[in-house]
Amino acid sequence: MTGTMRVGSKGRLSEAASGYLFVAPALLIVALLALVPILTAMWLSLYRHLPIFGITEFVGLRNYLALWSDQRFWSACATTLYFTGVSVGAELLLGLGIALLLDQPWNAAGKEQTEAERWLRVVMLIPWTVPTVVSARMWEWLYQTDYGLLNHLLMTAGVIEGPVNWLGHPYWALHAAIAMDVWKATPFAALLLLAGLKAIPPDLYRAARVDGASRWSIFRHITLPLLLPVMLVVLAFRTMDAFRVFDAVYVLTGGGPGNSTETLSIYTYDVLFQTLRFGYGSALASVIFAMILMLTAASFIVMRRRLHAVV
Amino acid sequence: MRKGMLLVCVVLATGLAALACSRTTTPPPAGTTVVFKHGKLAGDERLFAEILSGFERSHPGLTIRHETLPASTDQQHRFYAINLESRSVPFDLFAVDVIWVQEFARAGWIQPVEHLAPHPERHGYFPSAVRAATFQGRLYAIPWYLDAGVLYYRRDLLERYGFQPPRTWPELAAMTREILDREHDPKLKGFLWQGKQYEGLVCVALEFIWGAGGDLLDGGGQLEGQGAERALRFMRSLIEDGVSPELVTTADEEATRHLFGAGRAVFMRNWPYAWSLLQQEGMPVRGKVGIAPLPAFPAHESVSVLGGWLLAIPSRAAHPKEAAELLTYLTSPAIQLQMALALGYHPARSELYADASLRQVRPYLADLRQVLLAARPRPVTPYYLMLSQVWQGELSAALVGTRSPELALASARRQADRILELDRGAVALIAQ
Repeated sequence: MTGTMRVGSKGRLSEAASGYLFVAPALLIVALLALVPILTAMWLSLYRHLPIFGITEFVGLRNYLALWSDQRFWSACATTLYFTGVSVGAELLLGLGIALLLDQPWNAAGKEQTEAERWLRVVMLIPWTVPTVVSARMWEWLYQTDYGLLNHLLMTAGVIEGPVNWLGHPYWALHAAIAMDVWKATPFAALLLLAGLKAIPPDLYRAARVDGASRWSIFRHITLPLLLPVMLVVLAFRTMDAFRVFDAVYVLTGGGPGNSTETLSIYTYDVLFQTLRFGYGSALASVIFAMILMLTAASFIVMRRRLHAVV
Repeated sequence: MRKGMLLVCVVLATGLAALACSRTTTPPPAGTTVVFKHGKLAGDERLFAEILSGFERSHPGLTIRHETLPASTDQQHRFYAINLESRSVPFDLFAVDVIWVQEFARAGWIQPVEHLAPHPERHGYFPSAVRAATFQGRLYAIPWYLDAGVLYYRRDLLERYGFQPPRTWPELAAMTREILDREHDPKLKGFLWQGKQYEGLVCVALEFIWGAGGDLLDGGGQLEGQGAERALRFMRSLIEDGVSPELVTTADEEATRHLFGAGRAVFMRNWPYAWSLLQQEGMPVRGKVGIAPLPAFPAHESVSVLGGWLLAIPSRAAHPKEAAELLTYLTSPAIQLQMALALGYHPARSELYADASLRQVRPYLADLRQVLLAARPRPVTPYYLMLSQVWQGELSAALVGTRSPELALASARRQADRILELDRGAVALIAQ
């Protein structure tokens, strides 16, 4: 499904030129809004810039060298990677499960989208539409040790004996944040995957059934390969988002206890806006930017390869 | 998630833009409008507006525009840091947290104001607040209203078992244990304090540490180091022994106040603001609450952390003279008294605590005056916010037990040294 148009060599130049002309405003805006701040931040990261002390001093790559020996940076890296890996993995699996459940009955019956289905999708999306800060406050109450719903339910069910201090425990706090992120982002994953499922031609299923394929082999050899492009898109989007996680964790734990939930974004925020070390903070921000860029590039390469393999 | 980074980018971009095109001019004033920025005040907004219009009445031709920032101290700090760095500052007078004065003065963002509180008068302010506002021998801000950590206790429970408010930490622990044992109420907690990883934790920890003769910043001395370690070990043991519930490691001021206010705890460390809220109509603890100075370790003095806000004038303020007049008005004894009576803000002038009308409304003020006189500001240094960032993480780690107090303190000291060294280089650079 590659849609490049072949135009005659005569009309090509003017078409390209007008194409650039049309794209120019968008490019300009992107350049102004994204490129300039990013490049400025990178430039700033080569300085030691401490407004409090009136210092602006060119230090070359020394900020980056300092990062290398900064324990807090490495632990924030580990926290961010763990957060991203676990939450995105869970979101993808749960999202796939939900999408399959939603797709099955109607698909089998071959009916058009029903009213109920439409409503279900709207309801499903609610967690995604709630502003993160609001849902973080909500989850903070759910996790509350003393009168939180979670402890009440678990204690009633006999899973735990006494109340657990979810957000005050170095192990549980990070997982509490992950659970909130999964709750919030799974609908997004499910919706995209559902769209991907809908796009699979029903003929393939029918043909497979005629051939006597089992449900598992239909899933394994038709659904999964054809859904893979969408899964990769979901993976890329969610990874980028989760990697930059800030507000969810910041509201829930503030990075505590004992920095156990401090992600790269939170550390950067602290350096930039709490301690006003603009040079060092910019170095941190640039490193995050580079990491996300690499993640994005990697996912695009994988996606392209997979697409070629599938199509 | 996206918002967080976006915010960082946007703010960064705005800050940079402000740096780059700093030659923007403010529109010429029609008459003179003095812009006064401050955090959200508790209580009825109209009462404060009335106080300000009192100033306008006595100063014809001057208009005050007061603009409120979010209550969150961190957000205010960010706002001021970005705006004060730009060449034209969009306000003439603003309220600074007691921990920012050194930083802002060091940056040259605020101007000296000692002429507004000349010497005999300056002694009327609590000395710790004046100390926090003095940078290199000059006064950069005038105290507006103050706070200090105090111990709230359930008078009814203490009386039932024949206890006086505790004077030492071990006493408090023993009392709590006995009361919890004999009350047989599974819902009743012991001693509440703020142990979440944030600025409040540094305040609480400093109170324990100072009360053991230790210190965080000048911890190089063996005695200070031992005191700090002892204090942290004690804090951890409070949780381990069940004197304090585990939830204190995630609690901030409001979380503890709600729990204590519901009658679910024996003791609470908090700021004085909680008192009037606990005395509200319909509160289960109404009339059963007492306030006492914080305990200390045996043979040591009780020390509270000084909190509160001061008024300062930006170096690049458009109307510094008018701002100074407003500052003088807001810190005058009459207005301080009015603020205390109407809004519950504790005056920065110690003589006002003897006022009969004020004592009648807030009987705890006699104690609070003593607490404020003995209170200490958090380490008075321009690096405070950097240091606090380090301490918050290390103290929290020691509380939840991911690190031993020894290791946490050693790590904190190492990082603090690096910060101080970083800027010793900076100071040398400026001196060149």
